[in-house]
Amino acid sequence: MIHHRDAFLNNVAKQLGRSRNTTVKPERNWQFRPQDKTLTNKTPDELMTIFRDQCRLIHTELIETTGEKLADVLEATVNLYGGGPISLWDDPRYTEFGLASLIDETWPSRRVDVHKWDAEQGKENIARAEQANVGITFSDMTLAESGTVVLFSSTGKGRTVSLLPKQYIAIIPKSTIVPRMTQAAQEISRRVQAGETIPSCINFVTGPSNSADIEMNLVVGVHGPVKAAYIVVEDR
Amino acid sequence: MSDVKVTLFITCIVDMFQADVGKATVEVLERLGCDIDFPMGQVCCGQPAYNSGYVEESKDAMKKMIATFEHAEVVVTPSGSCATMFKEYQHIFHDDPIWRPRAEKLASKTYELTEFIVNVLKVENVGAKLSGVATYHPSCHMTRLLGVKDAPMTLLHNVEGLQFEPLPNAHNCCGFGGTFSVKMGNISEQMVDEKVDSAEQTKADFLIGADGGCLMNIGGRIERRGKPIRVMHIAEVLNSR
Amino acid sequence: MAMKIGEGKFKDNVNKNMEDTFMRGAVAGAQERLRTRRLDAAEELGNWEEWRSHGEEIRQHVLNNLDYYLHELTENIQKRGGHVFFAETADEANAYVREVVNSKNGKKILKAKSMVTEEIGLNQMLEEEGCEVIETDLGEYILQLDEHDPPSHIVTPALHKNKEQIRDVFTEKLDYKLTEKPEELALHAREKLRQEFLTADIGITGCNFAIAESGSVGLVTNEGNAGLVTDLPKTQITVMGMERIVPTFEEFEVLVGLLTRSAVGQKLTSYITALTGPRMDGEADGPEEFHLVIVDNGRSGILGTEFQSVLQCIRCAACINVCPVYRHIGGHSYNSIYPGPIGAVLTPLLGGYDDFKDLPYASTLCAACTDACPVKIPLHELLHKHRQVIVEREGRAPISEKLAMKAFGLGAASNPMYAAGSKMASAMMKPFTKNDRISSGPGPLKAWTEIREFPAPNKERFRDWFKEHEKGGGGQ
Repeated sequence: MIHHRDAFLNNVAKQLGRSRNTTVKPERNWQFRPQDKTLTNKTPDELMTIFRDQCRLIHTELIETTGEKLADVLEATVNLYGGGPISLWDDPRYTEFGLASLIDETWPSRRVDVHKWDAEQGKENIARAEQANVGITFSDMTLAESGTVVLFSSTGKGRTVSLLPKQYIAIIPKSTIVPRMTQAAQEISRRVQAGETIPSCINFVTGPSNSADIEMNLVVGVHGPVKAAYIVVEDR
Repeated sequence: MSDVKVTLFITCIVDMFQADVGKATVEVLERLGCDIDFPMGQVCCGQPAYNSGYVEESKDAMKKMIATFEHAEVVVTPSGSCATMFKEYQHIFHDDPIWRPRAEKLASKTYELTEFIVNVLKVENVGAKLSGVATYHPSCHMTRLLGVKDAPMTLLHNVEGLQFEPLPNAHNCCGFGGTFSVKMGNISEQMVDEKVDSAEQTKADFLIGADGGCLMNIGGRIERRGKPIRVMHIAEVLNSR
Repeated sequence: MAMKIGEGKFKDNVNKNMEDTFMRGAVAGAQERLRTRRLDAAEELGNWEEWRSHGEEIRQHVLNNLDYYLHELTENIQKRGGHVFFAETADEANAYVREVVNSKNGKKILKAKSMVTEEIGLNQMLEEEGCEVIETDLGEYILQLDEHDPPSHIVTPALHKNKEQIRDVFTEKLDYKLTEKPEELALHAREKLRQEFLTADIGITGCNFAIAESGSVGLVTNEGNAGLVTDLPKTQITVMGMERIVPTFEEFEVLVGLLTRSAVGQKLTSYITALTGPRMDGEADGPEEFHLVIVDNGRSGILGTEFQSVLQCIRCAACINVCPVYRHIGGHSYNSIYPGPIGAVLTPLLGGYDDFKDLPYASTLCAACTDACPVKIPLHELLHKHRQVIVEREGRAPISEKLAMKAFGLGAASNPMYAAGSKMASAMMKPFTKNDRISSGPGPLKAWTEIREFPAPNKERFRDWFKEHEKGGGGQ
C-alpha cells in the first residue's frame, strides 16, 4: 500500500516549478567519476596488502591460509575464541571448502554445539545465534580498501549469524576480494537492472561492532560481536 | 624589476586606524619597483553592512568602488578579506547587466598583497629583516575564500632573523567576523581568548596576520589582557629592515 | 521532544552553556580529533575535491528530480511487499506510526538513532500512547536514561556528558555497580539492551539513504544496533526525510563513503546495511512487515528557493566539527536538535524565524563549514542569505541597526561623507583616547571595548600621509 503519494509528489514538483515527472527517467550525466580511478589499477597482490593493512585498523584478526589447511585454521580460531556454541549459515560453500567433516563430525564428536541455520526452525535460529559464542559465515564479496565483508541474506543465510554471536569469523574466498565498495555497488546495481531480486538484507560488515559515544573513547564490541576474525582462503 | 603600475585599495580600517600598515604597504611595493596610485575616491568596500544582511544598503558603496578602480591595471590590497569582497561583487551584481561585467573586471585584476608579490611580481624574498620568534594567524577569508595560503608563508620564511612557531589550532577563526564581534560579543570573547592563549603558548614575540580586522580584534584583546606579544601586519614585517 | 529543545533565549543559552567547562573541553577535543581524522581520510582516499564535486552533483540531481526518485523508490518497495506513507507534516507521520503500532498491538519499541524521528517528536507520541520506547544507539540510550536530555551533536549525541555523569545515570537508572570506565559502561548497556532486542515488538529506524532503483533503505552504524532493530522485531518502521534518497547503489556507495569519512574518518563504518522490503518467504529473521514513512515537515518549502542546497545535507556533522562558534557554545545553545552551521541554516527554515532568528548570526562567516562540507553546501553563504532575508524580507532587524546601516550605506558610498567622517573620527574619539587606545568607548564601541582595546583613529589618516608622500616624489 502506498498512501498520499500523488498529492505529496505534486507538491514537490510544484515547488520545483514544473509538472510532476514519474515516467521519464532522469539522465545522470555525471561530470565527475573519481571512483573509476580509485584503486582500480591494483593487482590482486596489491589489494591483499591493502586489505591486510586495513584489518589492523579495524581491530580484526586476519589469517591467510590454503584450502587444505582451512579446516585446521578454522578449528584453531574457534578454539582461540573459546569454542562453541557455534552458529553457521546453511551454505554449500562450507562443503566446497572442505569443512563438512569439521562441522558434521569433528565438532559434534567433541560436543561442540553447532547450529546450522534452518529456515524450518523459525525463531529458534535467532535464539541459537544469540547463545552462540562464535558465528561463522562466508563472505559474498570482500572490499580491500575498507576491510569489509559483504553478506547477502537468503533462506539459508540468516542476517543475525554475523551480529548476535559474541564473536564473528568470516571465511573469505580470495576470489571475492574487489578493490572497494564501488565494485560491490556496481554488481548489485547490475543485478537490479537485470531484473533480479536482490537479497532482503545486504550487510557490509567491517570488523567488530564499536562505539565512541562515551567521551570519544573507542569501545570495541557494543551490540554486535566484540571480536572479529577474517580467514582468507585460496580458492580451490 | 619592471615598473608595474599598482592601484592601491587600502581598506577603511587601514586608512583610519592602521596608517602604518598602509605606509609599509606602499614602501614595500615601491621598493619592488611598483608605481603606486591611490585613488582618493575610495571608500569602504561595503562588507560590514553586506555581511549583516544589508545587501541593498551596501550596493552604493560597491558601485562607488567599482567605478573608482575602473582605471586600474591591477588593484592590490593589504587585506585578504577585503580582496575577497572585491571578488564577491560580481556575484552580488549577478543579475545586473551593467554592473556585473564591470564587477567581473575588477575581480580579475584584484590581488591581496602577498599573493601579488609572490605570484605576479614573482618575488619570494623582499629583503626584510626582523629578529625574533613569530607565529602566524591565517585569516579565514584569505585562506578559505580567496585561497591564498602559501604566499604569506613563503615571504615570511625568507625574512632574515625571523624564527617560526606554528600557531595551535591556527585554522580556527579569531572571533572577529565584523559585526559578530559586537553582536555576539560574549562568544567572540571566548574565541579571541582561545586565539590569544594559542599565541601565548608559542612564546612568540610577534603574532603576524594579513587582515586588519582580525589583527584589531586579536591585538585589542592582547592589549586588554596585557600580554607581551606584538601584533604585526605582514606588510609591516616585510617592510622591516 | 521535537526539533526545538528548550524555551530559553539564544543569548541566555549561550551564557549558561559557556560556563560548562567539561562540555567545552569535550567539544574542543572532539573537534580536533574528528577534524584530523576527516582530513587524513580525505588525503588517503585522494582526489577529495573531485569526490566532493561528485557528491554535490548527485545530491543536486536528486533534489531536482525528487518526484521521480520518490515515485521509483516507492513503486519498488511496494513490489517487495512493503508499505509506504507520505507525510506532509510531523502530525501525519506520527499518526501513521501510531496506527501501525496499535494495529500490531506494539508495546515495546526499539529505535536506532534517527534525527528525523527526533524532529517530529515520535518518541513522545509513542510514550503518550503507553509504549515503552528504547533508544539503542549508546549515546541516545544514555540521553534517554538521563530524563531525555537532548542531543548536542548529530553524530555523537552525548558529547556534552562525561563518563562520571554517565556512570551516575547508569547507577541511578540501571542499578549499575561498576566504574566510569567506558568499556564497563558499554558492556552493561550491551547486556541490558540485548534482552530488549529479543523481546521488542517493533523496530523503528531512520534512513541514511534510500535507494530508488531497488526500493532499499540504507542504514549506517558502528554499533550494529540498526541491524538488530531491523532483524529481530516482527515489524519494521523506517522514517526518512524526503530528500534522503539516491538513484542507484552506485550513488549510494559514493555518498556513504563521503559520509563515513566526513563524520568519523572511517572508510566505512562497521555496519552498513541495505534493507529491501520485509523478509522473503522462507527467511527466519528480518521483519515480517515493513513500513516506510516519508516525511516532508517543511522540506518542500525549501525546494526551489535560494536555500535548496541545504537539502543536499547528508548529516555527517563535518561542519559542526569545525565550527569555531559551536566549539565554545556547544549544541544545546542552538535550541534545536540540529546545531552548528547546518543547524543555523536548517532550523530557521523548518522552525521559523520567530524562534530561531538569532541562529544565522551565530557565525563569523569564516567558511570553515563550507570548506568541510563533503557535498559542497555553501553553508556560510546560506547563513548570509538568512541575514539578508531577516533584514529585507522579514524586516526583523532592530531599528537602531537599520538606521546605522542606512547611515553606513550613505556614508561609505559618498566620498565627501566618508572623507569628512574618517577625518573627524580622531577628534571625536579624543575624549575616550589614552595612549592611542580606547578602553571604554561610546555607542557602538561599547560592546567592543567591553572585551578589547580599540585603536584610536589615526591623527593622520593613511590618505593624508599618501598625499604628502606623493608630493615628495614617492619611491626610493
